[in-house]
Amino acid sequence: MTDMLNLAQQAVEHALQAGADYADARIVHLRREELIVKNGRLAQASSPEEFGIGVRVMQGGCFGFAAAPISSNGREGLARDVAHKASRTAAELGSAVVEPTRLAGSEGHVGEYTTPIEVDPFAVPIAEKLETLREAEASLEGASEVVVRKASASSRREEQWQASSEGAAIHQVLVRCGAGIAATAAANGRVETRSAPASFGGNYLAGGWEHVTELKLAEQGARVRDEAVALCSADACPPGKRTLILGGSQLMLQIHESVGHPNELDRVYGHEVDLAGSSFATTEKLGAYTYGSEHVNLVADSTVHGGLDTRGYDDECVPSGTWHVVKDGRFNGYHTSREWAHRIGEGRSRGTSRAEGWFNPPIIRITNLSLMPGTWTLEELLADTEDGAVFADTVKMWSIDQRRLNFQFTCEIGWEVQGGKLGRMLRSPTYQGTTPEFWAGCDAICNADHWQLWGVPNCGKGNPMQVAEMSHGAAPARFRGVTFVDA
Amino acid sequence: MGILSREQALEIARGLVDTSTADETEVVIESQADRFVRFAATGPTQSADRERHFVSIRVRIDSGEGKREGAATCDGVDTALTAGALERAVELARHAPPNPDLIPLGGPVDVEDRRPDEATLEHGFEPKADWVRTAVEACEREDLLPAGLTQTGGYARAVVNSAGRQVYAAQSRASFALTASTPDLVGGAGFADQIAATVAELDPDEVIRRAVLKADRSRGAEAIDAGEYTVVLEPAAVSAMLLFAGYKGFGCQDVEEQSSFLCGRLGERCLSEGLTIVDDASNDFYPGIPFDYEGSPKVRVDLIDRGLVKGMVTDHAWSRKLGVPNTGHGRMQPSPGGPTTSNLCVAAGDQSLDELIAGVERGLLVTQFHYTNLINPRELTLTGMTRNGTFLIENGKVTRPVKNLRFTMSMTKAWSQITGVGNELHVAGALFDGEVVTPALRIDGFRFTSTTAF
Repeated sequence: MTDMLNLAQQAVEHALQAGADYADARIVHLRREELIVKNGRLAQASSPEEFGIGVRVMQGGCFGFAAAPISSNGREGLARDVAHKASRTAAELGSAVVEPTRLAGSEGHVGEYTTPIEVDPFAVPIAEKLETLREAEASLEGASEVVVRKASASSRREEQWQASSEGAAIHQVLVRCGAGIAATAAANGRVETRSAPASFGGNYLAGGWEHVTELKLAEQGARVRDEAVALCSADACPPGKRTLILGGSQLMLQIHESVGHPNELDRVYGHEVDLAGSSFATTEKLGAYTYGSEHVNLVADSTVHGGLDTRGYDDECVPSGTWHVVKDGRFNGYHTSREWAHRIGEGRSRGTSRAEGWFNPPIIRITNLSLMPGTWTLEELLADTEDGAVFADTVKMWSIDQRRLNFQFTCEIGWEVQGGKLGRMLRSPTYQGTTPEFWAGCDAICNADHWQLWGVPNCGKGNPMQVAEMSHGAAPARFRGVTFVDA
Repeated sequence: MGILSREQALEIARGLVDTSTADETEVVIESQADRFVRFAATGPTQSADRERHFVSIRVRIDSGEGKREGAATCDGVDTALTAGALERAVELARHAPPNPDLIPLGGPVDVEDRRPDEATLEHGFEPKADWVRTAVEACEREDLLPAGLTQTGGYARAVVNSAGRQVYAAQSRASFALTASTPDLVGGAGFADQIAATVAELDPDEVIRRAVLKADRSRGAEAIDAGEYTVVLEPAAVSAMLLFAGYKGFGCQDVEEQSSFLCGRLGERCLSEGLTIVDDASNDFYPGIPFDYEGSPKVRVDLIDRGLVKGMVTDHAWSRKLGVPNTGHGRMQPSPGGPTTSNLCVAAGDQSLDELIAGVERGLLVTQFHYTNLINPRELTLTGMTRNGTFLIENGKVTRPVKNLRFTMSMTKAWSQITGVGNELHVAGALFDGEVVTPALRIDGFRFTSTTAF
């Protein structure tokens, strides 16, 4: 640990000597394991490892960044070379600076953070992990219509060492695991996939292999298989305006796309327009704008137990925190970084600046962002809902405009509400709406017993694009007057 | 160091294959280096000077009960890292169940030589700073906000295996892209870009001119009703559709798993006669790496031939399973995803963009689609938003800017309603990944299903 922290500190010193006004260095050692059993065969068994250093400098109001892999030899020379490259990058771009960049606050923290785990996923024998997946995949057998049966597990351990010219010295070990099953059925000229507990390969949490064990995937196989087959002959969800109850594994993406991304402050100022887009949630709306109904409380929290972005510090050495993005329906706060916080008069970053691995400079990313639970049981909510409403769940397709207003999502499955219970199964429920109107229609949220964290392992942003992970907590919630469309 | 040379990459890969104790070993090395600058009205906002080298090792062990396979990768060519990856791959293979589907690795092949442009690999930040300054000043003069990216770099791939295969190729890439927007980010925007194999081909001044002009013409966009329109899709918009056909459609595994729009259409002339799509890494316009992740030479594949749904891409295992030729479109192995296209090219037609527009009585000119996604793979039904310059066409002329709309439509239907194909090819990228070579297309009856506020 000390060696790597020393190396990061050496890189910072070299950057300062080269002319940087500020420098930070981040060393990342990332290990993953990806296992997929598909149609009775081991379709993927891979074990990637990454180890590298990224150095960021501020010089003349201009960022420069350089990155290179770490070898076992010549590390001191590497730290110097990468630091000098970063400095030279900033220096050569200096002539194009119009408005110098500055950083909010001073973040010279010294600290450690380690994800609490019960079972180290990399200590579990590979044979045991493969047997868990084999059983899960086998549980999907038994229907001739099923053309693809898949069980997957993913483990990840990221060790980071960060140092900065403000004195930061941070060591973190972040561990997460995820797993899931999916069945794809083909019949009647249709092909339908059903997943559990969520799409994108299942659900992921910060923690150890105990999370995979707790998922009890093999117990869900028969249901998943049967639903995939039934979807091929189910009625299409009819178009029109009606009440929608969203399950948690769909609601999490609704939160992500229509609340998380528009609240990234760099987007608001147009710095992501080149790819990801901007935001309707402009700064004059902060504190006053009605983002949703009074039932809607959305809390960002990079400290919550099990969150994929739960950590001690972000990639600018800022400690993790908690705040309301939407409070009682009002727009209350942004995701910020040290580059952006002062633009809205905040003295410190919210600590949501992250990079993918060692290869990329950090940008503002959504942290764990959750819809707080309400008071209803699901049974009470269904009983209180009129016939013809739709309960829909699990992400199938998602799309949203570049200001995060017009969205259209398709779920894997839906059911018509009939007599206060789930009735007729519906295929491909596709709903379309506008962000504030949709959230304004939220009139009931299920209670904490139904609330859980859902992991997003594949959030893309930046240019060149970077992938980040975060979680969204949600319980089923009801939305009035939602438009369903033909798809 | 930059990207690994042929000698460096092959020596490392060969050394690992020779060291391996497994019965079969395959090593894939990918090496990349780039320099990029993102910029906005404040000047450069992010920049990086980077390099990385991936080593992927796949091994097979024959235990007597059948072959077992494992794989591991590492991010670096350091001996300790690569040795660790080899060890992990062997460990995974030891514990993997026997897989009767595994066939022997492919033997020696000849592939085209492909070399990067040195000037592109060495292109530095000072000239990029000049481009950024020009873009920012051009936008400032027109009261527009810039947001863009310029990037130069190179990529190399080597594949060496224990069956005697040993291939290497490298290429360079240069790009400049600008989105110019009104200061409120609502009143209008224009996008233009250029992607090329060498930096010498880039013309940032022309990209800046086009983006600024388009943004200027986009001011004051008015709402228009959703519905069916004839559209002229510029290359950037076409790319969004094509990439989903590659992602989920043109691969033979997609067809076998009933998840492709080719299902039931192979051999049918059900698309417009003007549409010809090939996958061709050897195309002159923007060539790609001439072999896949198994080291198999990429073959030009006629996917759509003048409206006839003709072909699909394969890899080593699928070609054996289906008894068809290997087209060289394997992903990094082992992969649950199956073969995929890598160099999609739409054949040029005979009409200029102005002529395509002139053939529209009432319709829309679309610059780009945003956040396109796949709803139904069997019909290739997609949805997405227009972006960065959408204009009404009336009586053959672009008359005024319109606010953005969402389309939801089957591409098999859209591609059967093509009435014109542009005569200029462009390299176009989509929002999330990938690049295609395509002209503009004119399509009748394109279905827009909702609108948005800007």
